[in-house]
Amino acid sequence: MTKPIVEVRGVHRTFGAGPTAVHALRDVSFDVEPGTMVALVGRSGSGKTTLLNVIGGLDRADRGSLSVDGTDITRLDEDGLSRLRREKVAYVFQTFGLIPVLSAAENVGAPLRLARTPAADREKRVELLLDLVGLAAHAEQRPAELSGGQQQRVAIARALAASPRLLIADEPTGQLDAETGRSVMALLRGVVESEGVTALVSTHDPVMMALADRVIRISDGRLHE
Amino acid sequence: MRPALHWPSIRGRARADAGPLLLSAVVVAVVTFLAGAVPVALGDTADEAVQAAVRQAGSDADVQVQARWEYDDGSGGGRVRTARSAEALDDLRDRSLDELGPLGEVLLPPVELVDSPYLKIVNGAEPRSFRIDYVAGGSGPAVTWVSGAAPQPSVARLDVEAPFNGPPWPVQVGVSEATAARLGVKAGDRLQVEDDNRNPKDVRVSGVFRPTDPGDPAWQAAPWLLNPVHGRDGAGITRFGGMVSKDSLPDFRLAFEPDQTNRIVRFSPDPALLTLDSAQRIVSAVVRLKATSASSGDRSTESQWWTQLDTVLSDVQDQIDAATAQAAVLLIAVTTVAVLILLLAAELLAARRSPALTVARQRGAALPSLGLELLIESALVAALAAGAGALLSALFTGAVAAAWTLPVVLAGLLAGPAFGVVRAFRATRDRRVPANRGARLVARRTAALRRLTLELAVLAAAATALTLLNRHGVLPSAGGTVLLPAAAPALAVLTGAALLLRLLPLITGLALRQALRSSRPLAVFGAARAASASARPLPVLTLVGAAALASFALAVTSTVDRGLTDGAWRTVGADARLRVASDSVVTVPETAQRIAATPGVRHAVAAQVVDVAPLVVADAERPARLVIVDSAAYRALLAETPLPALPSLPAALSLPTASSPAAPNQPTASGPAVPALVRYAGGHVRTGDHLKLPRQAAPALDLVATGIAPAVDSSEDLVVVDAATMTAAGYQVVPDTIWVTGPGAGQAAAAHSGEGLVDLRAEVEASRRDAPLVTGLIRLAWASAAMLLALGLLGFALSASAGAPERWQTLSRLRTLGLRTSEARRVAAGELLPLALLAAAGGPLLGLLLIHLTVGPLSLRLLTAQPEAPPLVLPWAALTVLFLAFPAMVAAVVPLESALRRRRRLAEVLRVGGA
Repeated sequence: MTKPIVEVRGVHRTFGAGPTAVHALRDVSFDVEPGTMVALVGRSGSGKTTLLNVIGGLDRADRGSLSVDGTDITRLDEDGLSRLRREKVAYVFQTFGLIPVLSAAENVGAPLRLARTPAADREKRVELLLDLVGLAAHAEQRPAELSGGQQQRVAIARALAASPRLLIADEPTGQLDAETGRSVMALLRGVVESEGVTALVSTHDPVMMALADRVIRISDGRLHE
Repeated sequence: MRPALHWPSIRGRARADAGPLLLSAVVVAVVTFLAGAVPVALGDTADEAVQAAVRQAGSDADVQVQARWEYDDGSGGGRVRTARSAEALDDLRDRSLDELGPLGEVLLPPVELVDSPYLKIVNGAEPRSFRIDYVAGGSGPAVTWVSGAAPQPSVARLDVEAPFNGPPWPVQVGVSEATAARLGVKAGDRLQVEDDNRNPKDVRVSGVFRPTDPGDPAWQAAPWLLNPVHGRDGAGITRFGGMVSKDSLPDFRLAFEPDQTNRIVRFSPDPALLTLDSAQRIVSAVVRLKATSASSGDRSTESQWWTQLDTVLSDVQDQIDAATAQAAVLLIAVTTVAVLILLLAAELLAARRSPALTVARQRGAALPSLGLELLIESALVAALAAGAGALLSALFTGAVAAAWTLPVVLAGLLAGPAFGVVRAFRATRDRRVPANRGARLVARRTAALRRLTLELAVLAAAATALTLLNRHGVLPSAGGTVLLPAAAPALAVLTGAALLLRLLPLITGLALRQALRSSRPLAVFGAARAASASARPLPVLTLVGAAALASFALAVTSTVDRGLTDGAWRTVGADARLRVASDSVVTVPETAQRIAATPGVRHAVAAQVVDVAPLVVADAERPARLVIVDSAAYRALLAETPLPALPSLPAALSLPTASSPAAPNQPTASGPAVPALVRYAGGHVRTGDHLKLPRQAAPALDLVATGIAPAVDSSEDLVVVDAATMTAAGYQVVPDTIWVTGPGAGQAAAAHSGEGLVDLRAEVEASRRDAPLVTGLIRLAWASAAMLLALGLLGFALSASAGAPERWQTLSRLRTLGLRTSEARRVAAGELLPLALLAAAGGPLLGLLLIHLTVGPLSLRLLTAQPEAPPLVLPWAALTVLFLAFPAMVAAVVPLESALRRRRRLAEVLRVGGA
């Protein structure tokens, strides 16, 4: 049996203290198998983003254990978490987060620069990824010259650039119209298969749920599969 | 419809943004204080300067009226003794008081004076002179007779006629105790005195007096009546005096020829009553008075007015005008940067409030309502801050120059609402970026054209102001207005900053392209962030403007500071100068030798200085100061001073022979031409030109300009010739000046103060530095520089703060790619550094270029007392501090921002949507 790429055990996360405390995650436990696409579904304020942040090392759990690709991330310091993000985990955000003065290709190559990938390899990989997301013809365009859907495709290509084991996408279609959103979701589904990456995607979109291998529902910080 | 106000929103916004509001308030308060107080303080300083100038001018500022006595020809061919002479003097006083008009309001009670010509005391070996004076002023000067009695009439019959060609008419005088002791005389003694023509005078001592009040102003008219005075009548000569009374005044007149004594009434101005405003009226009154004055050659008994008060006041008026204009330049600079800071603060405030304003708009708040709400808030802040600034100004100076505070108060009032309304409007307007490329291009070009128009408007204003400044100078008397020329530096800096604003994106774009070619990821991210942030106009304008104008202010201080030193060197010409009267010249070379032998003296050079030599060039009169000096010794002296070196003077040149062609300016006289170093401010004389020096009972002496005279003297037109060459050419050189250098120069010269007038360079410089206008301007320039630097650094902090949310959002995203915290700080520094370096390097360069262009028109020479504009002096130490301050801010801001952001988890920074 394959070892899960994400193992979450008894994770709690509370914001604030006393009577005003918000329990964002309550005793959350689940595993994610490698190479699968998992949809995390829930209403606003249910704890989706908190769970993704805790798994990706952007936030820390108050209690419980969490391992990503065999690494117990609750024990990692800031540098360890940075290394984790550089080598194993990638993110796609609702607001794309591209660097405006860099071209699409330069944005995609950014993680490779951080990883000190040689220029030739970097260029080859960028070309491949832009081709994968269907933007080979837009490589030299800047984010402002691209549509929202195109920008999100660049963001996905960037997330895949350093060949992460886990792709975390928080509402990746939140700022896109329905049709563009569906195409982005299809792209995500495609890259999971072609790149062999594991994707953990929070969404409200029923189409996305249909594309996922597994759907995890969350409400009031508790999981309901 | 009346705009609806939502008071809870007004209170809530003010509470949430208390920090930026407080900061704006502090800027408004401080600049209101400075702008409100400086013109008032300058007005007070101007009054002080007028008073100090009049005080310093001493008797030159006195208004003196002089009139001949009524004819006293007797029927017997002699002169009638006029018993009512004192009354005749009183008549002149009363007539003068009527003629003075408004001038009389600032003058002290007059002193009446009748002064004898020079008399020589013939007994004794010591060279001594004697003066007989009648002095009356107010009720004094009162005296106590310690022996003898007050001078009495020398005859019993008061209206007797003195025979023509008779013996010297006897006159009784009283002498002071000091005079009696020094001359060894007592009541009843006759003084052995004679006039210039060796005619003996019958002067008898009636008594010895003690002044009731030696400080009585009347004594100032003839101080030698109280104590013997050295040097007034030549080197080594001591002047003594004898006072006549009202009763012996008629005898005093008969003791001399009718035209040898005159009625004199002297009015001293009361400096305490003089102000800048009254000075302007007084100059007009003096000019009117002089226009009605009889000429000195007039033999009638009309009043002849003489005073230098108008010149003294006009000179100080020019200085005040210059200082006022220079202060206006500095105030406009500070105000400009303060307004930019307030705009920057308002931009930051609007950015912080953007979400709240957007929500308010989305909920239906009308723009006028939002604008009014923001205006209420800014009005309260601006009013309180301006009130505090004005109060401080009133406390320190007693008044507020309200007009100068208006720009900053208006900026404080309007900037916040304007930015807020624009932000709210843009956030909710239904205008999207055009989809087609052509429409986007048109939109871009429209924006570019709008920007270019604005830049050209500033450029045109700056060019006009600079042209006005260069053509007419900064003085209002020349250009009619002070405001536009005074705004020239600020406008020019804004223009330069706008140019740098154009360059910055090109520079950061170039840096980004270079970084992309490199393998350094942090360089790429830093350059990318810098390129993103480089298009913001306000930070560039504010920081470059602040740094440039601070450099400008610093350069003004250093140039004035050095100019004062140079000015003192040029005024004195050495560490010390001894000027002796022309009739004691025989001792000058010997005195110079004695001074040279004094320990601590390096050089003592004697020279003859003719202040206004009647030189003629090509039949045109070109008067100049003529210095006849041992050129080798003078060159050696100058070499040890900061004054420029003296070029060598060749030996006498032979004139061209009759067969050789003569230059148009060459004289027709024969004989060797004396080589001269020549400097004429108007450039009338060039090297090779000949100058004629007319002489009495001898042909004019021919001088030939062989070089340019160094600027070693305070005169604008100067001719320097070698003494030996002049002597060889038949000119009798009569030295009257000794220049002394060395650490003991002052002491050595002072030891010979009895032989003439001593000027010490250190004292001249100190007195100029202590002048109210100079002190005030230097303090203002330092305060302006400090405030501009502080505003610049504040601008940097505001600019960094405004860009911080976007910067750290991007850095947080980069951290999701694996960027470490320390690396994020370096990227942040990379973003902020270009702006800091632009301000640190571009600002001072711009400021120094500007001071280079305006140092002449700013008329700093009027404060440094130099004939030409002082040379520009760069304040390297202060500029280094300025250069380092902005990069240091990067080093301070980045860790601070990072520490503040670290309190928030990365997830919070990146959070979008619900938890």
